[in-house]
Amino acid sequence: MGTSSATGRSRELLARPTVVLTLGGGVLLLLDLLAQLAQVDIWIIGGSLPFSQLANYLWTGLILGLIIGLAGVGLSLTYSILNFANFAHGDYLTIGAFSGWSVAYVIAGLGSLDIADLVLVTAAPSDVGASVASTPVAVLVGLFAAVVVTVLLGLAIDKAVYKPMRNSEGISLLIASIGVAFVLRYLAALLFGTGRLGVTAASQIPSTNVFGVTVSAHQLTILVVAVAVMVAVHLLLQMTTIGKAMRAMADNRDLARITGIPTERMITATWILGSGLAGAAGYMRVLTRGTVGFNDGYLLLLLIFAAVILGGIGSIYGAIAGGLLIGITSRVALVWVPGEFGRPIAFGLMILLLLFRPSGLFGGVETA
Amino acid sequence: MSEFKTSDEGLLQVSSLDAGYGDLQILSDVDMNVDDGEYVTIVGPNGAGKSTMMKSVFGLTAYMAGSIEFRGSEIHGKNPESIIHLGLSYVPQNENIFESLTVRENLEMGAYILDAVPDEQIQAVYDRFPILEDRSEQEAGTMSGGQRQMLAMGRALMLDPDLLMLDEPSAGLAPDLVDEMFDRIDRINDAGTAVLMVEQNAKEALSRCDRGYVLVNGENRYMDSGDTLLGDEQVRQDFLGG
Repeated sequence: MGTSSATGRSRELLARPTVVLTLGGGVLLLLDLLAQLAQVDIWIIGGSLPFSQLANYLWTGLILGLIIGLAGVGLSLTYSILNFANFAHGDYLTIGAFSGWSVAYVIAGLGSLDIADLVLVTAAPSDVGASVASTPVAVLVGLFAAVVVTVLLGLAIDKAVYKPMRNSEGISLLIASIGVAFVLRYLAALLFGTGRLGVTAASQIPSTNVFGVTVSAHQLTILVVAVAVMVAVHLLLQMTTIGKAMRAMADNRDLARITGIPTERMITATWILGSGLAGAAGYMRVLTRGTVGFNDGYLLLLLIFAAVILGGIGSIYGAIAGGLLIGITSRVALVWVPGEFGRPIAFGLMILLLLFRPSGLFGGVETA
Repeated sequence: MSEFKTSDEGLLQVSSLDAGYGDLQILSDVDMNVDDGEYVTIVGPNGAGKSTMMKSVFGLTAYMAGSIEFRGSEIHGKNPESIIHLGLSYVPQNENIFESLTVRENLEMGAYILDAVPDEQIQAVYDRFPILEDRSEQEAGTMSGGQRQMLAMGRALMLDPDLLMLDEPSAGLAPDLVDEMFDRIDRINDAGTAVLMVEQNAKEALSRCDRGYVLVNGENRYMDSGDTLLGDEQVRQDFLGG
C-alpha cells in the first residue's frame, strides 16, 4: 500500500507544471555545473569554474549554515514550547555579538588601550589583535559572556513581556516580539552606534589552504563549537529528564501538565537554551565576518526563519538541516548569480521545497 | 445534603459543582463521590458533561461554584500540575500519550514528579502490559489504538495512584479488544486502586462497576449500584437503548 500510494503521489506531482519546471531547471543547473567544472562550453551551458572555487563556496556555506542552524535550533525550541514565532530572536544574536565582543575586547586589550574604546568595541581591530590564535582566552571568555548576557536578557524579557501574556494567542505574542525586536535593535544602536564596527583583522587570523580551500582558524572554531553544542543539545533533549520533559511539553502541553511537569520551569529552561544558542550564534558569526552592526541579527533572522520552516517548524534536527541547506545554497548560488542574489536564491529554494513537502523536511517527525 | 452524596469518608468528594469553559456553564450542581478502592462509572448521553466532570477535577475547566475534595482537602483552584502529587492520575480521552516520545519515555514522564526513574515501577507496568515492554523503544505515536490506550493507562499507573480516572478507555478500540480492556481495568481495581471511569459503552461499564452515575445535561439524573441501574426500566429505556 505504501509503495503504490507513493507512486501515485509522484505521478500526481509530475503532473504539476511547477514541479516539471523545477526538476528541469535543477537538471539543467546540475549539467551546467558539471560542464563548468570540466571547463567546457556546450550550447548555453558550461564555462570555466575552478573546482577550488566551488569547494570554497561549499565550505563558507557550511560555516554560515552552522551559524544559521545553531540560531534556528533556539528559534525552533521556543516556537514548539511557547507556541509563537519569536521575531526578536535575530536581535538576541545581535546582543550576543556586542556583549560578547565587548568582553573579549576588554580582556584582550586591557592595560594597553582605552577602556571605553574596548567596552564599546570601537578600538581598532589591528590594535586589539583579537583572534583565536593570539588571544584565545579573550575569545573564549567572550563566547561565554555572549551566552550569559543573552540568557539573562531572554529571561528578563520573558518575565517582563511574555509571561504576562502567557495565555494570549500566538499572534499577539508574535506582535509583542516584533516590539521587543525594535527595542533591542535600537538599544544596541544607542550603545554601539549605527555604523559597522571592525572586530577582527583578517590578516591576524591564521589560515591554511586545504585543496584550494582557504580554511581559517575562526571557521574551524565555529565548526568545532557549533557541532559540539548541537551534540550537547541533542543529548540534553534525549537523555536527561528535563530534556524529555521539554519534548513532552512541546508534544502535548495539557497532558504534560496533568502529568505534573511544571510548565513555568520548562519555559525557563527553554529560554535559557534558546537565548544561549542565539547569543553563541551571534558572537560566532563575527568570527568569520570580522565586523558587527546593530542590524546584523535582524538581517539574519529571515534566513533563520527560512531554515526553520524548511526543516519543519518545531524540529531541532530540521532546523540544523535547514540551516545547512540555506547556508550552502546561498553560497553555491554565487556560481550563477552575483553576491547580493545569494539570499533570494536561498529563499527560492525554500519555497520550492515547501511545494514538495509543505510541512518541511522534518515536519511531522516532531522531535521537539 | 444532596441525595447523590453517599459517604462522608470519600476519597474524592464533589459537591454542588458548577463548571464549564470560559463563560459557558456545562455542569450544574453536580455531586459525585468515590470511596477508597471503589469502581465508579459515569454514563450518559453525548454532551452530558462527563468529560467536563473529569477535567474539572484536574483544574482544566473554568470553576464556577461548589467544591472538589480529595481525602478531605479542597483541590479546586490548585494548579493542574500539582494535582498528581495528591495521588490521583487521569487518562484523558484523546491525545493521552506523548506521541513523539518513546514508550519508555512516556512511562518515565508518568513518574516525572519523582526524583529518580523508578525502574521497578516501569517493570510493574511492563508486567501488566507486556506489549509495552516489547515496544519500549518505539515512538508512541506509531502504535495502534489499543496499544496507545495501554500506554496511557501505564503512564497513569506509574505513581501507583489511589484513584485512576479514565475517560472513555474503550473508545476507538476494535470490538474484540474492548472486553480485554475492561478486564484490565477490573484487575487494576482488584489490586486496590479506586477507578472513576467515563464510558460510552454504558451496559458493559455498569455491569462491571460498583456504582454508576447517570449524568444528563450537566446534572445528576441517577446514582445507584451498577446492577440496579442496569435493571432499572427507565434507565434502560432512556440511556441504554432498551
